[in-house]
Parts: sequence; C-alpha cells; structure tokens
Amino acid sequence: MTNIVVLVKQVPDTYSERKLSDSDFTLDRESADAVLDEINERAVEEALKITEAGEGEVTVLAVGPDRATDAIRKALSMGAHKAVHVSDPALHGSDVIATAKVIAAAIRRLDSVDLIIAGNASSDGGSGGVPAILAELLGMPQLTHARSVTVEGGTIKVDRETADEGVTHLEAQLPAVVSVTEKINEPRYPSFKGIMAAKKKPVETLTVADLGVDASEVGLDNAWSKVLEAAPKPPREAGQKIEDSGDGGVKIAEFLAAQKLI
Amino acid sequence: MSFVESAERQALRAAAFELASKYGHEYTLKQARSGGKTSEMWAEAGKLGYLGVAVPEEYGGGGGGIGDLAAVCEEFCAAGVPQLLMVVSPAICATVIARYGTERQKQRWLPRFATGELKMAFAITEPDAGSNSHRIATVAHRDGDDWVLNGQKVFISGVDEAEAVLVVGRTEDARTGKLQPALFVVPTDTPGFTARKIEMDIVSPDWQFEIFLDDVRLPADALIGESTDTALLQLFAGLNPERIMGASFSIGIGRLALRKAVDYANTRKVWDVPIGAHQAIQHPLAKAKVELELAKLMTQKAAWLYDSGDDMAAGEAANMAKYAAAEAAVHAVDAAVHTHGGNGLTAEFGLGALVTATRVGRIAPVSREMILNFVAQHSLGLPKSY
Repeated sequence: MTNIVVLVKQVPDTYSERKLSDSDFTLDRESADAVLDEINERAVEEALKITEAGEGEVTVLAVGPDRATDAIRKALSMGAHKAVHVSDPALHGSDVIATAKVIAAAIRRLDSVDLIIAGNASSDGGSGGVPAILAELLGMPQLTHARSVTVEGGTIKVDRETADEGVTHLEAQLPAVVSVTEKINEPRYPSFKGIMAAKKKPVETLTVADLGVDASEVGLDNAWSKVLEAAPKPPREAGQKIEDSGDGGVKIAEFLAAQKLI
Repeated sequence: MSFVESAERQALRAAAFELASKYGHEYTLKQARSGGKTSEMWAEAGKLGYLGVAVPEEYGGGGGGIGDLAAVCEEFCAAGVPQLLMVVSPAICATVIARYGTERQKQRWLPRFATGELKMAFAITEPDAGSNSHRIATVAHRDGDDWVLNGQKVFISGVDEAEAVLVVGRTEDARTGKLQPALFVVPTDTPGFTARKIEMDIVSPDWQFEIFLDDVRLPADALIGESTDTALLQLFAGLNPERIMGASFSIGIGRLALRKAVDYANTRKVWDVPIGAHQAIQHPLAKAKVELELAKLMTQKAAWLYDSGDDMAAGEAANMAKYAAAEAAVHAVDAAVHTHGGNGLTAEFGLGALVTATRVGRIAPVSREMILNFVAQHSLGLPKSY
C-alpha cells in the first residue's frame, strides 16, 4: 500500500510564446495556452505505475490560480484518484520557498503519505528547487533527478542522473520525496473513461488560511528574490553550417560536446 | 443554449489530437504509399476507448454519443492520421446494432466495437443502385432457418481489414410480397463472399472494394433485429451518423491543410516579408477558416440533435453539415496547395494527397447534388426533382 502525492503545475504551453507581465515581471498567464507541465505527466505516470503494481491512492496537489483546475483534471483523467488545489490570490508571485511551505502544509493535512513525486523542474520557472526544499521542510529524504524508481516494501531505490554527475544509485526509507526527469517514462494518454471519470473525482480547494500558513510568508512582496528587469529573448540566430572537407564528423562531434549533448 | 463543447469533449479532442500527432501525417503517407495500414494507431486508439466512445457502457463502451465519436474522427484527421473506417465501423455498424440488434447480437458484437478490436465494413452502394436504395438488387431468400444472399456491391471501404460486412439487401415481405430492406452481418470468410480491390487514385491506407455475394448462406440471426420490420429505421439510424462523421472527416482534413498552409505562409520568404503578410495569401486562408468553423458548428448541431434522439431534425442538419464540410475542405485544400506553389503538389508536403481525399467528401457518402435535392424538397418544400 503506497499512498502517493504528485505535485503538478499548470504552465504556459512550451510551444507558445511565453511572456512576463509588464507590471510585476511575474508570468503573464493570459499570453499563452495553459497546460499540465509535461514533466508532471511523467510524475503522474510513475505514481500510477507504482499503485497499479501494488495498492494505494494517488493524490495530485497543485498550487496555482483557479484555472489550474484544467491541469488537475488532466492528471485525474490519466487515473489519479483525487486532488488538492491550493488557490489564493495572496500566492501571486510566490518564490520556491513560499511555494514549498504551502505544499508542505497541504501534505501535512493528508493521512499517511508514503511518497511524494514531482517533476525535476517546471518548464516555466525552471528553478528545480521545490522538491529539495519540500523534503527539508517535511524532514524526508530527497531522491532527485530520478530516471528510474523502484518501491519495495518500505524502501525506495532510484537511479539518479544529471548531465554533470552522471548516474548514481540512491536508496531511502519511505516516506520520501522523489523528483523525476524526462527519461523516467512515457506518460499515458487519458482514456475516454478516464476523461469522463475525472469530472466526478474529488478536488479539495484550499486557501492559504485553510492551511494555517501566514499570508506574510507568501506572495511577491515576501519573495526572497525579485525580478528587476526583463527583456524578450533575442530572435533565433541562424544555425551553424559545417562544411565537410573530410573533418565534418569531428566538427559535429565538437559542437555536440560543447553543448554537453555527448 | 451553449455553442461551447463540454470540458470532457474538449479534453477528448485534445487527447485524440495528441495521440494522432505522435504518428503524424508523414506516417500516414508513408504507410499509404507502401501499401501499409495505420493499424497501430487504430489499436492504440481502441485501447484508450476513443473508438468505442459511442458504444453503450453496458457493452464496454464509453457511453457517449456520435458527437464524441465525430470529435475523435475530426481530431485524428486534423493531426494527419485519418481513420476512414471510423465512419463505417463504430459510427454506422455499431450504432445500428446498438439501436436495433437483438440482445444476442449486441452481446456478440458490441464489446469488440468498444475496444476497436472489431472492424466491420458497411455495404449499401451497388453498380445499378447508387443513391437509389429502392433499386437495391442484393436479395435475401429464406431457406429453412437460413438466409441465402445474392448480389453485388461497389465502393465498399476496408473490406480487407474487416472481419464482417454489414450488408444492406432486400427480402420479400411475408405478408405483402413486396421487397423491403434488410440488413445482414456477413463475415468476410463466409463461402460465396468475395471482394476485389478497386484501384483508386487516392493516397490512403484504406482501400475500396467490389463485393460479390454468390449464394452466401447465413444463419437466421445474421439479420439485424428480430424481423425486417425495423430495417428502414436501421438505415436512418446508421446513415445520419455516417453523414456527421463524413462532415467531421472533411473538417479535420481541412484543418490539417489550413495548418500546413499557415505554417508555410509564415515562414516562406520570397522578398523581405513572409508570403503570409500578403492579402492575396491571407484572404483565401481566412475564408477557408470561416467556412470550416461554420461547417463544424453545423456538424456539432447535427450530432447534438442525433444524440438527443431527434432523428428527423438530425437528418436535415447532418445533410447540411456534410455538404458544408465537404465544400469547406475542398476550398481549404485548394487554398493550401496554392499557398505552397510548386511545393503544394510535391510528395514531400503531402497536400496533393489531400486534394483527392477531400474531393471524396463531395461525392460520398451521398453526392452534393443529392443533398441539395433533399434540402430543396424537405427544407424548402419544392417538388421532388428526381
């Protein structure tokens, strides 16, 4: 029996043009289509695989504005059992620490959580800090950047892979926090029955006050870091052309190595 | 009244589009040109329940309606992986059996329609009876408890992939002696059943066939329903979904062409701006967008009427939707080809294949002219003209 909480985030579609708002340099949510972050689909997939192989319940947890409901429904349509949605205007502009505090408070309210699965980094904020901070706040072991996860009894084993450090093998006792990378799995498509069932699954909506978190700990004004200035990204530069005069292969290899791709 | 689809319908569209995008138009072209099928995609869609959305829940289906099935059909086409047999197998055959089949027939066939494991073709058109179903010459005679079927059918999609064909024939009414329609499920391995491929200048993984029925002996329960009394109703029950699906098919292909055209117009530069900055390019594409959206709205209305049980009103709307969608798709593809210039007819861009694919929509399942006849007579009250 493994009860799993999956952290999910609604983000602007990676394929659309993403912008910061002019007024406070937070994400301009109106400028792009909002979707469930793809890495979270993988996190949900992993949670479903674990519970399907044994027993347990998958709860998705989202912190975000009202329309994050759509991202939650997507996760529920994939097969997650229920959801908690923390939505509060006071959270606007919260940094990773405030976000992790809110998530920790929401998790403490749940009974018997064995495992928390997150994506390793969101495709919008991209700091990758929440899983580690959350583990510290909850006093749980953290197993980040997992490319594979195995749960056996009360033990979790993870193959951790990063570009700089290569592969390491981690093991911890549950409860624990895991963050997964894109290599973890291929997420399933929601079935039609899953889509129809998602409507009827329970979604608990909470405010910061419901969680007992002080409003002075969250929001843009209380963030530890601040965006002072933002400029649109420069237009894409023309690609680099390599003329092959016998050393084409070497040059391509050098280019890929410089990009840390090989 | 709402013109916006439910959250579930929208989620279904998004999921279907995403699944088909994994395969993509290039996959379809490659399979079609090498004589292959798109069966992996069909199988995956079936497992996810997308092909069985309209099959009743008690038989393992999704319990949704034709509106859901049409949404899936449109999204598959829009993503470049049309599934022609959706128009036939789950839309016509499964609907007819679900509405008019005996309990035994439902239990026998519906669970595998629900999963997509079963493909059933549909055969109505004959060499001498196209739109005129009163001239259908495929006749079933009773022989003891059995039926013996003789006749010929033409332009039947996907017979090579189908386990059985739902054949529209006629039989003698026991009381009046008049010939009246009757629908039979004919397994494709029944002795006396043969099919011959018709070579078409259409790039599609799904093929067209002629069917020959030569003393095809069928058990009593091959006849759909308890008797032939409901056969006309069965035909209407099947043909409205066919038009709605045909419309969705056209709209999806139109969307595919339009998306390709917009991408190309936004990136192709001949002088200093993309060609899409010019009104001569913009206006035909904008017009195509308007026509596709209007056709889609009518298709949604037809599906809604059908799913609400109003077969008569659905008939008019389904005819209009099918007409409008076929025209919109032909115009969209034409504009897309023209936007691409010479590239519009290269194999690489795959738009030439869409010219014939959308042209079919003007002819099948019923010609544009027969729809205008219907509208003139039934919607406007003009004399029957044929």
